[in-house]
Amino acid sequence: MSTISIKNLRKTYGPYVAVDDLTFEIPDACVFGLLGPNGAGKTTTFKCMLGLARATSGSVLYDGAPLVPETLERIAYVPERSVLYEWMTVAEHLEMQRRAYKKFNVARANELLAQFGIDLRKKARALSKGMRTATMVALAIAREADILILDEPTSGLDPINQRHVLNLIINESARGATVIFSSHQIGQVERAAERIAVIDRGRLALEGDVDSLKADRKIVEAILPSESFALNGLAGDSHILRLDRTGRIVRAMTSSDAAEVLAKFEALGASGLRIVDLNLEDIFLYAVSPADATADVVEDTKL
Amino acid sequence: MPVVLTVDPRSGVPIYLQVIEQVKRSVALGVLAAGEQLPTVKQLALDLTINPNTVAKAYRELERDGVIETAPGRGSFVRGNGSIETTKTAATDVARDAIEAAVREAKSIGLLADDIRTLASAAIDRWFREDA
Repeated sequence: MSTISIKNLRKTYGPYVAVDDLTFEIPDACVFGLLGPNGAGKTTTFKCMLGLARATSGSVLYDGAPLVPETLERIAYVPERSVLYEWMTVAEHLEMQRRAYKKFNVARANELLAQFGIDLRKKARALSKGMRTATMVALAIAREADILILDEPTSGLDPINQRHVLNLIINESARGATVIFSSHQIGQVERAAERIAVIDRGRLALEGDVDSLKADRKIVEAILPSESFALNGLAGDSHILRLDRTGRIVRAMTSSDAAEVLAKFEALGASGLRIVDLNLEDIFLYAVSPADATADVVEDTKL
Repeated sequence: MPVVLTVDPRSGVPIYLQVIEQVKRSVALGVLAAGEQLPTVKQLALDLTINPNTVAKAYRELERDGVIETAPGRGSFVRGNGSIETTKTAATDVARDAIEAAVREAKSIGLLADDIRTLASAAIDRWFREDA
């Protein structure tokens, strides 16, 4: 079992609030994608999870218990920036890991490094950004850890090696490991992750199961009889997250039950009704759009 | 494994629904024959580079819909018993979704039930001409 619970996590650096009241759970054996704009607090969250940064308040619990040194034995971490020693060869890094961890699988590490086409004799300083990422990913996977925390594990990699890393994540999940990873490439998260959390300016903007989010979040589009037509009763509709109105065209973003929202528009006399699917990128962009801009849109709709 | 499934993860249609639709289509077309084994959850997840739990969810629903059956320790198979029934059920499911979408679209642009019926019978006449 490796369920990770993040509860009311807050981390400040002086006056700067990096992470603010973050609460979500990463279920056992889940591939969990952490999304957010640059500087949203993803790396800080990872550091708090690993004890590399001390939370200002709140907690991170592993199967209900706080982080202890034995927990770290079960976690493999790939940081966003290279932590390889410039003067050491890949082979020396491998040896260092073997000595550091009881469970390190040397044969697996060699196999993975070969798959990435990494020359063991090369010093870290001779590796490209992508090859450094690949080296760290290979060494982390060879730990055969219960939990993998991967901060931008495809950063700098070519599309073939990006796909390879995704398949390694999937393989780790299939053997029962819990994987949490961040990526700016939403398409990768859309493929590999079962659940996601979106962090924006340190706060949780959205969290859920990817397939359920796609099933629930739709755009219902309708043509109204006139530009001044009043949308009575839709202002307080709990299924509608946002209404955009341009002339006679109205678009409602739903949190669930798009068909029900569509029926309501129809009952009001709207025509041209259709339901438009949203992909994860659309859903992400909505979640991180400034809240006050959304409020303005709703205000303009003459509800 | 002769199953050739493709998914579009960037689509707004949940991936597990895409897997379900494609397996049903393959069964309806006979590309997947009765008794034929499907890839394991892990294998299909790796082949398509999608989450294993997503594949497992699709397989569970396919089993509930009677399209496949899972023998513990042996894998998942296209239902062998009453394979004609299975094929027809799968084909009906795929066709129903397509027809529902077409009718919804026609209604949304202002057509009445009778207009849509006329269009539907004209389409049936055209596509089944040689059967008449």
